[in-house]
Amino acid sequence: MTQALSVRLAADIGGTFTDIAAFDEETGRLSFGKKLSTPDALVDGIEMGVGEAGIKFADANLFLHGTTVAINTILERTGANTALVITEGFRDVYEIGRVNRPDAYNLFFKKHVPLVERALRFEINERMYAEGEVYRPLIDAEVEALAEKLGAMGIEATAILFLHSYRNPDHEIRAKAIFERVNPGMFVTVSHELSQEYREFERVSTVAANAYIGPKVRSYLNGIEERISAEGFGGSFLVVQSTGGLYEVAQAKNDCVHMLESGPAAGVIGTKALCDVLEIEDAISFDMGGTTAKSGVISGGVPLTTGSALIGGYDQALPIQVAMMDIAEVGTGGGSIAHLSDGGSLRVGPESAGARPGPVCYGLGGTEPTVTDANLVLGRLAADRFLGGDMQLDASAAEAAIKKRIADPLGMDVIAAADGILKIAATAMSYAVKAVSTERGLDAASFAMVAIGGAGPLHASDVAREIGMGRIIIPQAPGHFSAFGMLFSDLRYDYVRTWPIRLADADFGDIEPIYAEMEDAGRAAIERTSINAGETVIQRAADMRYVGQEHAVTVDLSLAYFSNQDRDGIKAEFDRVHEIRYGTSAPAEQAEIVSLRSAVTGTMQKPPLEPIEAGAEAPVDAAKAGSRRIYFGEETGFVDTPAYNRSHFLAGNRIEGPAVIDEHASTTLIEPGDFAIVDAYGNLVISVHGINAEMAAERRDSAS
Amino acid sequence: MSKTKYPATNPVTTEIVRNGVIAVTEEMKTNLMRTAYNTIIYEALDFTTGLFTASGETISIGIGLPMFIRGMSETVKAKLNHFGAENIHPGDILVTNDAYTTGSHLNHVTFSIPVFEDGELIAFACCMAHWIDIGGTLGGMTTDIFSEGLQIPICKYADKGEVNTLLEDIIRMNVRIPSRAMGDLRAQLTAIKTGERRFLELVHRYGKDAVLQSISAIMDNAEAAARKRTLTIPDGVYEAESFMDDDGVSVGKPVPIRVRVEVKGDELTVDLTNVSEQVRGFYNSGKTAGYACAQVAFKCLTSPTDYPINDGAFRNLNVILPPGKVISAVRPAAMRWWMTFPMTVIDTVFKAMTPAIPDRVIAGHHADLVVCMLHGINPKTKEFFMANFGPQGGGWGAKRSEDGISGTVCINDGDTHNSPNEQTEAKAPVIVERYALIPDSGGAGEYRGGLGVERIVRARYNSVFNTQVDRVHCTPWGLEGGGAAMGNGVALELEGEWKDDFANAKVLTAELKAGEAFSLRAGGGGGFGNPYARPPEKVQNDVRQGYVSLDNARDLYGVALDAETLEIDNTETGKLRGG
Repeated sequence: MTQALSVRLAADIGGTFTDIAAFDEETGRLSFGKKLSTPDALVDGIEMGVGEAGIKFADANLFLHGTTVAINTILERTGANTALVITEGFRDVYEIGRVNRPDAYNLFFKKHVPLVERALRFEINERMYAEGEVYRPLIDAEVEALAEKLGAMGIEATAILFLHSYRNPDHEIRAKAIFERVNPGMFVTVSHELSQEYREFERVSTVAANAYIGPKVRSYLNGIEERISAEGFGGSFLVVQSTGGLYEVAQAKNDCVHMLESGPAAGVIGTKALCDVLEIEDAISFDMGGTTAKSGVISGGVPLTTGSALIGGYDQALPIQVAMMDIAEVGTGGGSIAHLSDGGSLRVGPESAGARPGPVCYGLGGTEPTVTDANLVLGRLAADRFLGGDMQLDASAAEAAIKKRIADPLGMDVIAAADGILKIAATAMSYAVKAVSTERGLDAASFAMVAIGGAGPLHASDVAREIGMGRIIIPQAPGHFSAFGMLFSDLRYDYVRTWPIRLADADFGDIEPIYAEMEDAGRAAIERTSINAGETVIQRAADMRYVGQEHAVTVDLSLAYFSNQDRDGIKAEFDRVHEIRYGTSAPAEQAEIVSLRSAVTGTMQKPPLEPIEAGAEAPVDAAKAGSRRIYFGEETGFVDTPAYNRSHFLAGNRIEGPAVIDEHASTTLIEPGDFAIVDAYGNLVISVHGINAEMAAERRDSAS
Repeated sequence: MSKTKYPATNPVTTEIVRNGVIAVTEEMKTNLMRTAYNTIIYEALDFTTGLFTASGETISIGIGLPMFIRGMSETVKAKLNHFGAENIHPGDILVTNDAYTTGSHLNHVTFSIPVFEDGELIAFACCMAHWIDIGGTLGGMTTDIFSEGLQIPICKYADKGEVNTLLEDIIRMNVRIPSRAMGDLRAQLTAIKTGERRFLELVHRYGKDAVLQSISAIMDNAEAAARKRTLTIPDGVYEAESFMDDDGVSVGKPVPIRVRVEVKGDELTVDLTNVSEQVRGFYNSGKTAGYACAQVAFKCLTSPTDYPINDGAFRNLNVILPPGKVISAVRPAAMRWWMTFPMTVIDTVFKAMTPAIPDRVIAGHHADLVVCMLHGINPKTKEFFMANFGPQGGGWGAKRSEDGISGTVCINDGDTHNSPNEQTEAKAPVIVERYALIPDSGGAGEYRGGLGVERIVRARYNSVFNTQVDRVHCTPWGLEGGGAAMGNGVALELEGEWKDDFANAKVLTAELKAGEAFSLRAGGGGGFGNPYARPPEKVQNDVRQGYVSLDNARDLYGVALDAETLEIDNTETGKLRGG
C-alpha cells in the first residue's frame, strides 16, 4: 500500500453520548457521529459512531480518545483492589487529609473517603529530610517482604509514596523496582512520577487514585487497541489529558490520572482552535449540560491551566495534584430543580433531576420543576423539536409543576416564576464564568464567550448580559464540541519540581539544569511517539510568592528571562501577575520560588476549518421554520419570534433578534435588540445589544 | 430581639442578591488567603470576611472561623458607636484589635471599610485576620491583657484616603516580624477593598433599593426558617454541665461550665449565667464570644446549611450572659487563648439538648485546636524561627445514626487546613516522625466516636516548645449509653525518656535539645448508644482496620474475635452480650 493514510479520528465518550469527529486531511472533510454510550461495552459505541461518520479505522492514521472511564471509576468506586505503601508513621495521612470541615455548622458533615482502606495501607521504615538527604535508609529486604505479602494477598495495584520524594526520588524508584520484580502482573505506581510537588496528602491522593483506576483503565485501553487493530487501524493511538494535551496510549496506561478531565478539557481546546481561526485572543468557554455549567478561559491565545483539582464535591473531595485545564463549575444545568427553602425563598439547584426522572416535561415521572421546564413554559424550547423532534415535551405538565411548587406558594404569576427561575440560573452560572476570569483579575467583559454543550446556546445571552460580555460565538454542532476539540490537540507533557529558594539567592546555573531535565524528558516522550510532531514548544513557569507569604502564584516566564539571566525581569513579572490577580503587589519585598514548571508541546497539524457556502444577508426560505411565542421579560411579554433551522444557514446571513434557532441537540436564542451573523465557517456570532457601553462605564465607576 | 413581618419583596431579585453577597464574601476570603503572609491565615483560615449593613448587622460572612460568627458585627457596631455614622467618610478605613470588643485575642486585627453610594453609607466590608505575632510575652502564661501585646484602640487606619503612618510605625515597633505583619495588613486591605468593589457592582447592576430591600428580605427569610425549625424542638428547660481542666495558673482546679436552655414555641434562650467566672490565666474571652457560643450551637441545631450566615437567623435566639464570666470577661482579663473554652460551652449545649432532640445532637468532641509552637534560632541561617503546628485534627462525637468522624478540626474552626508535614519540615528544622490516628481513642457506642490524632515531632536543633491544650480530664463524653473518648494529651521525650505524667496538657515553656521530641495527642469523639447494640460485623471491621483493638472489641463491645483470622465467635459474643 503506497497511499498515505490521511484520516484523523476523535472519539469522546461521555456519560450519555459517544461523539465521533473525523477529519480527512486529503479531502478536508469533517464528519461527525453520535451514538448513545454503551456502558457495558464502551468500544461498541465508538465503532457505531465511527460507522455513522462514514469512516473506516483502516483509513485512519491517528486515533484520539477522551473518556470518562477514569473519572467514573473513582466516582463510582469500582477500581482495583489497591494497597498503599508509605513512609513509616504516615499511613493515616490519606485518611486525616487536611482536617478541614467546610460545612462548618453541620454536625452531620462528611469527610473524604480514601480509595484505599486503612487495613491495606502499609508503612516502610525509611525517610528523607526536606533537603533530600537520607535520614533513615530504605532497606530493600523490608520492601521485598512486603511486596511478597501483598502479592499473596491478591492486591492488583500498589501506590507508593515516600515523604520528600519530590526532592529525592531514590527510595521510591528502588521500591517500585522491587515491587515490579516480585509482582510482575501488579500495577505499581510511585508518587514522584506523577507529581514532584510537596504536600503529602495531595500526592498520596494522586498516586492512590492512579493505582486504583490503573488496572481498569489499562484493560479498557488494551481493549480498544485490540479492537481497532482488528479493524485494520495501524496508526497512532493518543489519549487526551486533563490539560487538553495528548499523550501516547502506552504512557496513558501508566499515568492514568492525567486523563480524568479529558472531555471538559477538549471543549476548551476546541474553543482555542476556533479562536485561532477567528483571530480572537481572549475567550471564555461556557459549557452547560444537564447538571452543571463549566467555564474555561483562553487568555492571550493560551488556555489557562492549574496545578491541581478536586474530584468530587468540595467537602468530600479527593485532590489530584497534576496539571489540568483550569475549569470552574457550578451545579446549575438544564435539569437543576427549582424549589422553595424553609424560609420561603426561591432556589435553583444544585439538586438535579438528571436524565431520570428528568424534568417534568419529559413525562418520565419527574414532579419537580427544572430549568428545562421553565424554558419550555416561556416558549424558549419547542415541545415538538427537542432532540430533532425525537422526544415530545409536555408543556402543560411543566407549567402545572411550576405553578404548584413555586408560583402559588410565592403568590407569583406562573410566567414570572418561570422567568425568575431562569434569571436565578443565569446569575448562578455567571459565577462560573467570573470564577475563571474576574476573580483571576481578567476583565470578562472584554472576552468573547464560546457557548457549547446542549444547553449553552440557550442561556448564553442571559449569562453574557449578567457579566457584560458583548460577543457570543455558537460553533457548529455545539452539543458535540469535545470530540471536535480533540482534533486540535497537541502532544503535551507537563512537569513540575518543587525547588524552594529566594529569587535573590537563585543561581541561574542551578535553575537551568532543572528545566533542562524536565524538557529533555518531554522531548524524549514526544520522540517516543510515532507521531511526526512539528515544532516542539517549551513553556516555562514558576510558582512564586513574596518571602513569608504562603500561597504561590504561577507566573509564566518567557525563555528570554533565562537566557538573559534576568532576575529583575522575573521579579517584575511576578509583581505584575500578583497585582493583576489580587489587586496588590509589593515591588519592594523579596520574592521566592516554590516550584518550577515546564510544559513541552509537540505541535500537530491542525485541520483547517472549512468555509461554508456564502449567501445573502437574509437567510434562505428553507431556513425559516415558522415562529413561536417566546417570553423575553416583563416589558415585552410574549413575542412572536421567528424560528430557524440552522442547517440551512449560509455565510453572511444576518438574523435579527428576537429569533430562535434550532438544531439537532441544541437551541440558540437571540434576544430582542441582539443580532447574529453567520460567519464564513458557519459559526453564529451574536452581538449583545447595548451592554458594552453601559457596563464599561460601570466598571470605570467602581474601579475609581 | 424583635419580631418582624415577612414582606413580599420580589423573591427572584432576593435570590439573585443572596447568591451575589455569598459570592462577594467568598471572593474576599479567597483574596485574603492567597495574599496572606502567615499559615494561620492561609492554611488555618483564622480569619473572617464579611459584609454588614450600615448599622452593623451581619449580611454575609465568609467563614474561616465559625466562632467568629458574632465578633465582627459587634466590632462594626463599636466602631459606629465610637465615631458616629456622620463622622465616617468615603476613603476611611477603620481598625481595632481591642480584645473586649472583638471578644477574642489581640492577634485578631479587624479592618472595616465603609461602602458609600451617592454619598449614603449603605454597608461595611470587613476583615478580621490572625496576625502571627502582635508582641507581648513570647510563650509562657499571661494574667492580664498588657502582657499580651499591642492594643490598637478603635481608630482610623486611613482618614479620607490618608494613611495613618504613625499607626503603621507603632505597629512595626511592637511586633516581632514587622514585614509579615505589614504583609498581612496589605492582604486584609485587599480583602475589604474587594468586598467594597464587588458589593458596589451588585448595587449598580440591580439598583441600590433592590439590593438593600433584598438584604432585608434575606434576613427575614432566615428568621422565618429559624423560627420554623425551633418550633420542631419540644418546649422545655434543658441543662447540662462539664468542666475545663484548669486555667493554667491554678493547676488542677477545674473550671465549671454549666448551661441552661429554654425552648418556648419558636423562641430559644441560652442561659450562660452559671458558666465559670473569669479566670486568671489567658483562657478568657469577651462577651461576643459568649454570644457566639449560643449562636454556633443554635445554628448547628436549626439552620446548619443555610447561607449566607446573617443576623436574621438569630432573631429568635435569646442569650443570657452577665459580664465577668470566663466567656464575657472584662478588662484586664488575659485573653490570649480565648478560643478553647467556648468550644466546650457549645458541646455542653448539645449535651443539654439530647433529651429534646436526640436525633440532631452529637456526642462530645476533642474540643481543642491541639496546636503547639516551637521557636529558636536556626544555627545554619542564624535566623529566628517560629514554627506553628496544628490544628492537627481530632475525633468528633457519634450521632444517633452515624459514627463520629476521625481526624477533623474542632468546632472553633471550619474550613481550616493543617499544614502539609513536608512543608513544615521545609520551613522549620524539625522531623515529623508520626502523624497518625490513635487506635481505641474513639468512644464506644452503637455508633462509635471518631478517632483522635497523634503527632510526634523531633527537633533538629535546640528549640523552645510550648502548648496550651485543655480537655485532658473532662474527656469527650458519650450520649445515650455511649462511652467517653480518650482525652487530649502531651508528652515530651527528654534525654531519651518519654514523660507524659503532666498535671494537664499545658506545657508553657520546655526546652528541647537537638534530637529531643514532643508528642501531641488530640482526643477522640464520644460514642452514641449502647456499644452492645453495635453489629458484630461493624466491630469486626473496626478491628480489621485497626480503629479498635481486639481487647476493646471484647471488653467494650462484647464482641469476641479470633486473634488470627478475626472471625466472629458468635457463641462467645452471645455470652458476653447476653450476660
